[in-house]
Amino acid sequence: MKCPKVLLLAAGLTIFASVDSVAGDVKVIANASVKADTISAADLKRVFLEEKSSLDGSHVEPLLEKEGRAHEAFLQEYLGMSEDDLQSYYQTLLFTGRGFMPKVLGSDAEVVAYVARTQGAIGYVSSAASAEGVKTLAIGVPSSNAERKLITRVEPDYPDTLKRLNIGGTVRLRVSISAKGNVEDVELLGGNPILGESAAAAVKKWVYAAGRSRTIAEVSILFDGR
Amino acid sequence: MSTSVTDKLRVGAQLYDRNLGQLGQYHPSLDWAVADYRFKSWFGVRGGKVKTTLGLYNDTQDLDFLRTFALLPQSVYPTDLRDATIAHLGGDVYGSLSLKHRLGGLAYTAYAGHRSDSIYGGVAYLAAQYQVYFSSYGGLQYGGDLRWNTPLKGLLIGISRMNEDVTGKAKAINPLNPGAGFVPYSAISKADWADQFYGEYTAGKLRIDSEYRRFVHDEQDQTADIVLVEIYDDVRGWYVSGSYRVTKRLALGYYYSRYSVTSVAGGLLAPYAPHQTDTSLPANHVYDKVISARVDLRRCWNVKVEGHFMNGYEYSSYPNGFYPQVNPQGFKPNTNALVVKTGFNF
Repeated sequence: MKCPKVLLLAAGLTIFASVDSVAGDVKVIANASVKADTISAADLKRVFLEEKSSLDGSHVEPLLEKEGRAHEAFLQEYLGMSEDDLQSYYQTLLFTGRGFMPKVLGSDAEVVAYVARTQGAIGYVSSAASAEGVKTLAIGVPSSNAERKLITRVEPDYPDTLKRLNIGGTVRLRVSISAKGNVEDVELLGGNPILGESAAAAVKKWVYAAGRSRTIAEVSILFDGR
Repeated sequence: MSTSVTDKLRVGAQLYDRNLGQLGQYHPSLDWAVADYRFKSWFGVRGGKVKTTLGLYNDTQDLDFLRTFALLPQSVYPTDLRDATIAHLGGDVYGSLSLKHRLGGLAYTAYAGHRSDSIYGGVAYLAAQYQVYFSSYGGLQYGGDLRWNTPLKGLLIGISRMNEDVTGKAKAINPLNPGAGFVPYSAISKADWADQFYGEYTAGKLRIDSEYRRFVHDEQDQTADIVLVEIYDDVRGWYVSGSYRVTKRLALGYYYSRYSVTSVAGGLLAPYAPHQTDTSLPANHVYDKVISARVDLRRCWNVKVEGHFMNGYEYSSYPNGFYPQVNPQGFKPNTNALVVKTGFNF
């Protein structure tokens, strides 16, 4: 059965030459004033370590979540640091006059609300959290050759059982597109494996515009379980 | 304390105070006071009293909670000479950038300013034994640092350079005519410099550091127009340290620190300051083997217990921890020390 609530987040819109890393449990959000739609994993780390304060010309300021799965996933997958190491890092910046202690909020909802109203704010929340009023940044390395236009899109099935149990979330796929525009290969990068299987089956039927060479795309598909 | 004035401009200041034996004596000083404007991630400027970037730990040497050890290796970070390198009144340009082709990242700092030592620091304390009492000690200081976060995860390597030109103003008993009382006295270094090479490797709970510093100090002491002594000190120090976090609350560490000085004197008082060129003598080196344990009772509260097993006492015209005023019976070739330290951070 096809579900009308299946939303395509960045499907076919965001093409990458390569993908650094992804996290199934966390997504990166930013205030609408931030011009960038994508951020590389390296730049994301530099933003949160206060080595970089702008993205595509927009000022950005990191925001932390106090604890929880999203926070742990973010530390592990994007910063590669423990909580203690991160706190020591920020204290070092603070006590040497080289930086500041980022604002820390207690929940996904607080982070989303703060990011929505604060110019330049960039934070992270769990994949399942509502991102109303903020933009979700895709993680990867932007391609040097322009994005491939999606010509034919097939919507993925939302398995009944999962739908009934309100099990949803974002599925992230790495898609290999031939020069002719056919999807040659799909790899699940993150998210629920059953939803991932469904999404992969649909994406394999997609057709892109012909290009000069084979390219790799990262595709995020949201199964809205609410 | 610090605050952001605009997106790119930040200001802040911090006070510092200590009492370490006869050093510091609870005379507070401005640790840093900075206005920092970052144009781009690869280019920013900061001015005021700025912490000096020199090697891995110079600017963070007071942040005890960062490390397993109670004392940093004294061959490279002598705590009695903290003032000599800790900050400068001037400005920095700095930045960082990611390298293409996954070659890691570079961070640079270049600085120039005025160094101003506390008169409660090691240089002034050592001079006091000769009845030379400094009222000021400092001068031009400039240099730079370049560090590379290599593609090998956890490996950082870097190089620092510092140049300085220092003048100390003092009063002293004229050694040529002690009965005449105090006379103006000055200590002028012509062109001191330090080079420092360093590397750090972290993998999970393991951290390994190593640094080498060479410092050349060329000083001329005079009263009125009479040059009393000219001293050339060549100070070399290095260490290798390793620490491992065994559990969330316990970390263990070990380092080997090696320090030596050669000193050559000229001028009227040279006969009283014989050349020191043999670094194998205890008077010209300190070799320190250190074991350390750190227990984190809370996230903000730690206790450290550390054993130092030292050979040599390095006693020359340049200080390094051993002072005759507090060792009136003289120095012995070997010294053991137990350090127990607790710290709070918040």
